[in-house]
Amino acid sequence: MLSLIVGGAASGKSAYAEALVRSIEGRRVYVATMEPWDEECRERIARHRAQRAGHGFVTIERYRDLGGLKVPADANVLIDCLGNLIANELYPLDAPSPDATDVAKSVVEGVRTLCASCTHLTLVANEVCAAGTAYEGDTLAYLRAIGHINCAIAAEADFVCEVVAGLPNVLKGKPPTSNA
Amino acid sequence: MMFVTGPAFSGKRTWVRETMGWDAEELAHRAVWDVQELAIDADDLAILADELACRDVVIACELGAGVVPMDADQRAQREAAGRLACLLAERADCVVRICCGLSQVLKGSIS
Repeated sequence: MLSLIVGGAASGKSAYAEALVRSIEGRRVYVATMEPWDEECRERIARHRAQRAGHGFVTIERYRDLGGLKVPADANVLIDCLGNLIANELYPLDAPSPDATDVAKSVVEGVRTLCASCTHLTLVANEVCAAGTAYEGDTLAYLRAIGHINCAIAAEADFVCEVVAGLPNVLKGKPPTSNA
Repeated sequence: MMFVTGPAFSGKRTWVRETMGWDAEELAHRAVWDVQELAIDADDLAILADELACRDVVIACELGAGVVPMDADQRAQREAAGRLACLLAERADCVVRICCGLSQVLKGSIS
């Protein structure tokens, strides 16, 4: 089962996704995508860890290459958020930027592989394309990659939901249940 | 006329092609897209909306969801684009919003 949760900044999409994952059976695995490069990142990571504390998540840090991630077969995986992972793939610290189209393909392929190896995969994606396209080339390539990835994942997902002010606006399917 | 809106890179044109069963040539003939870019140069947005409404499908990007731009031209463009979208939605029999390639009907029905 594959669920995609999209929403703008601070739309309540993470809380909605976490509640969704908690309602499904399986070993809860949280895949953290934020690379802790500075104090701000470390503080944000600590805040998110505290939010999840007591909700039975095992946290795995994975900044890129979802396809290579090994999880238990009964894992109920939450990834928050895809935009971070895409940025990590597109802008490596120690290498030149790979082609955005290749990145988009490999991220979608990674999602497929991971989804096939666990019982449920829930992805959180940031809506960043609704403020126009008046950006420089690099940012535009990032937006285009996010757009393509979101469309490709939504086409394959069982459940797609946009979160607005903490409320779900269902775009496809029904929320997964423990019986699914 | 069907008005299709949604974020940039959200799959609007692909959705129109697949839903209408059009190839690229037919899309170019029967639809018009990126109309938000026409808004800034229009003397009269209502006249522009009337002209665009002659097409079967009109597609526009949502521009207005970010911070108000510092740049005056960008501010004016997104104002004009937003107002044009409202005028097109008024004229449309059907309004569809695309998100992640998935559609939601906001007005009328997809025929």
